[in-house]
Amino acid sequence: MRQIVLTALLLAATVAGATAADGTLVLYTSQPNTDAQQTVDAFMAKNPGIKVDWVRDGTPKILAKLHAEIEAGQPQADVLLIADVVTMEGLKKEGRLLSYPQAKVDGLDAALYDKDKTYFSTKLITTGIVYNTKAPFVPTSWEDLKKPEARGLIAMPSPLTSGAAMIHTVTLTGNLPEGWDYYGALAKNGAQASGGNGDVLKAVSGGDKLFGMIVDYMPIREKAKGAPVEFVFPKEGVSAVTEPVAILSTAKNQEAAKAFVDFLLSKDGQEVAAKMGYIPARADVALPAGYPDRATIKVLGYDAAAALANDAQNKEKFSTTMSQ
Amino acid sequence: MSSTQNRIAGPGLALQRPGGFAPSGWMFGQRLSTLAVLLVIGVLSLLPMVRLVIAAIAPGGEADFGAFAERLVKPAALRAMWHTLDTSFFGAALALCLGIPFAIAVTMTDLPGRKTLGFLLLLPLMIAPQVTALAWLHLFGPSSTLLDMFGLAPPPGTGNPMLGRGGIILLYGVQHAPIVFITMRAGLSRVPRDLVEAARSCGAKPLSVLRAIVLPVVRPYVVAAAALAFVSGVGNFGIPALLGMPVNYLTLPTLIYQDLSSFGPSVLPQIAALSVLVGALALAGMAFQSVALRGAGHRIVAGKPAQFELGRHRLPLACLGWLVIGLTLMLPACALLATSLVPSFGVPLGPQTATVANYTEVLVRQASTVRAFRNSLLFAGGAALILALGVIPMAARLERFDRRWRRVLGGIVDLPYSIPGVVLAIACILLFLRPLPLIGSLYATASIILVAYAMRFLTLALKPVTTAVGQIPRDLDEAAAVSGAGPLRRLWTITAPIAAPAAVAGGLLVFMSAFNELTVSALLWSSGKETLGVVLFSLEEAGLGTQAAAIAVSTIVVVVVLLLALDRFGRRLPAGVLPWR
Repeated sequence: MRQIVLTALLLAATVAGATAADGTLVLYTSQPNTDAQQTVDAFMAKNPGIKVDWVRDGTPKILAKLHAEIEAGQPQADVLLIADVVTMEGLKKEGRLLSYPQAKVDGLDAALYDKDKTYFSTKLITTGIVYNTKAPFVPTSWEDLKKPEARGLIAMPSPLTSGAAMIHTVTLTGNLPEGWDYYGALAKNGAQASGGNGDVLKAVSGGDKLFGMIVDYMPIREKAKGAPVEFVFPKEGVSAVTEPVAILSTAKNQEAAKAFVDFLLSKDGQEVAAKMGYIPARADVALPAGYPDRATIKVLGYDAAAALANDAQNKEKFSTTMSQ
Repeated sequence: MSSTQNRIAGPGLALQRPGGFAPSGWMFGQRLSTLAVLLVIGVLSLLPMVRLVIAAIAPGGEADFGAFAERLVKPAALRAMWHTLDTSFFGAALALCLGIPFAIAVTMTDLPGRKTLGFLLLLPLMIAPQVTALAWLHLFGPSSTLLDMFGLAPPPGTGNPMLGRGGIILLYGVQHAPIVFITMRAGLSRVPRDLVEAARSCGAKPLSVLRAIVLPVVRPYVVAAAALAFVSGVGNFGIPALLGMPVNYLTLPTLIYQDLSSFGPSVLPQIAALSVLVGALALAGMAFQSVALRGAGHRIVAGKPAQFELGRHRLPLACLGWLVIGLTLMLPACALLATSLVPSFGVPLGPQTATVANYTEVLVRQASTVRAFRNSLLFAGGAALILALGVIPMAARLERFDRRWRRVLGGIVDLPYSIPGVVLAIACILLFLRPLPLIGSLYATASIILVAYAMRFLTLALKPVTTAVGQIPRDLDEAAAVSGAGPLRRLWTITAPIAAPAAVAGGLLVFMSAFNELTVSALLWSSGKETLGVVLFSLEEAGLGTQAAAIAVSTIVVVVVLLLALDRFGRRLPAGVLPWR
């Protein structure tokens, strides 16, 4: 009996004390789990003294978690690697990001990092159209998703879960002539908006849906594994996010965080990203197999300041439009 | 009941008046321990509820019922409310249709293999709802690896029939049939054998015996079983999260989860209001259940339960039973297994494509899933040990309270278990998010999950131990007291050894429930403190369905092994300690 008591107390102590040790870096990321693990593994191989603990969720969700932790007075993350710069800009305005002037940005286009060096783009992730190879037609334009043949067969990620989806919505409504009416038409065509890009991939590769809006690397990569999917860059152009990395001003392990930022921006780090199937941010690293030439990808622009200011309204508008 | 008998029969009435016999320090010790028990129950069971109600009704410090009502009549909330009621109602109806025939077959007939059938029917209760949902999700639809192997998969573009209302209702039925089964068995075992036999010998047909004798006795149990199944549906998170959220079919628990996880703590007042609503719904169901059962079964003292012989229907009925179990249990499990063996979703399973890569990825390679296995073991093990040890002195003290108080306290301890897990998680966030004096903020620590588990599962550990302590003859304790043994010594040498097996069983029940749960930790996890439920859900959301399936299969293996161990151990326990014995 006494032994049981001791064991219980010991166990309780272990549970309560299972917190960060020295040399630990906490990463909050929106990369899919396997990608996050590969990124972290590559970083740890280069920096054997540092152990990285990571947490993965969609950008809005990981931000909600971070805000709750900030409110509790204990933000856990040291580094953020999330979908889009708009979210980063919001955090910067709140004074949550650490400036890192010595970051090794050589080789990176100046448009790809914040002028105050608080966040740095690591990749280019475009959102286009995915279709199942058994689909009745091959879509080439965003307008094709309004076709009656696609009725009830379209999946798309929700900006409530995905940061890329938020930027995509802002981009399409700003660039397509119909604006928000485009989404209204998709809703009428039975498009289903929920979850993140992973849900879209699952629905389309599984055949529950045959068309979807999705980030490029997922279908391109799964196709290579044998999944029956194909990615299309629509003729009007694609939206893009740049998956920026940033150090929190409250980071406990700033040195490790800086090493992580430098690693992601280095040629090695960029090659890791390319190997996983992402378009690297640095122009001197080649695109992975399955992509067209970098110059032929037409990226549509959007008003970042407006996107930040209207974030909540846009989410609300999306929810009402899509749940018609 | 046995304690009442002991009190009447017990010789040591003098000891009931401590003033005359015991030293005054004893009185003080008694008061202190009473206070301690009340404090533990107050903090673990009552405090979260009070905090939640305050946050919902008086977020700014002043009660504002107008704002409270306003939050509840938003279109999204009303729609989720309707979905919750609708699915829970039909789910409960289906659970009755599944559970009652099995209960009758196992308790009252000579069906071959009925013991095994009963054990198998109980399995869904012990398997996490999100695992069940995942299994069924992979059973149907064009993406079903299993159907695809036999060329039976529907053409691409067909929606998965499990997604949405129908699938949720079906799985509520399967998941909660065991609850109906357990409740009904308690009722059926009270059907008097002599009455049934008398009716049969007068020439009554089995069906009319069922209607005229069995039904009136078990009617309260049917009502109670329906209420329990309904409440379980109201609080379920894993099933609507996997089957409803992907098609925007939200119930109250998933709406609460989605709002908090997408918008953060700024929406806490709105969410607290919804939580109070769904909590009230669950408690109303529980109250209905206990009213239905009040007095039931005490009117007729049963001998041996009545038995029907099935005669020539024996074999066909047994086949039907196995068919139902096969369809609801084995088939989804096979679908899950098949999906966990393909490299990517939509790839057909064959000798060339089959791989264990998903298992190595989640069991060995991926830090977060490996950690999740360790965390779930630690949290569930920690909660089980602390509760199993803690409830022994608690039960010993509770035993001394009079019956009405015991019932009130038991009801309070039940509260955090009766309400949906999401609601308890919200209450914990409200309690522990802002730093508290001495302990600081518990949010984003392992402690908040451990505390939440202790709150939620206290009742699971306490019930078997109170039963066991209630069966200890009071003379033993009193004899020891007369011989000069102090209260602590008596607790250590008399109560603890006798209650130990029940405490172990209670601890195992706590372990299994905590090991499986997702609802509480879905909102309370933080970096490095993910539980198995959380990583399964997160993998599924990230589109890595095959890895999620691998985790699900692994947890099923763990649970079934534990269950078999518990069942073996259960043979040495007093009746009524394990829910299925």
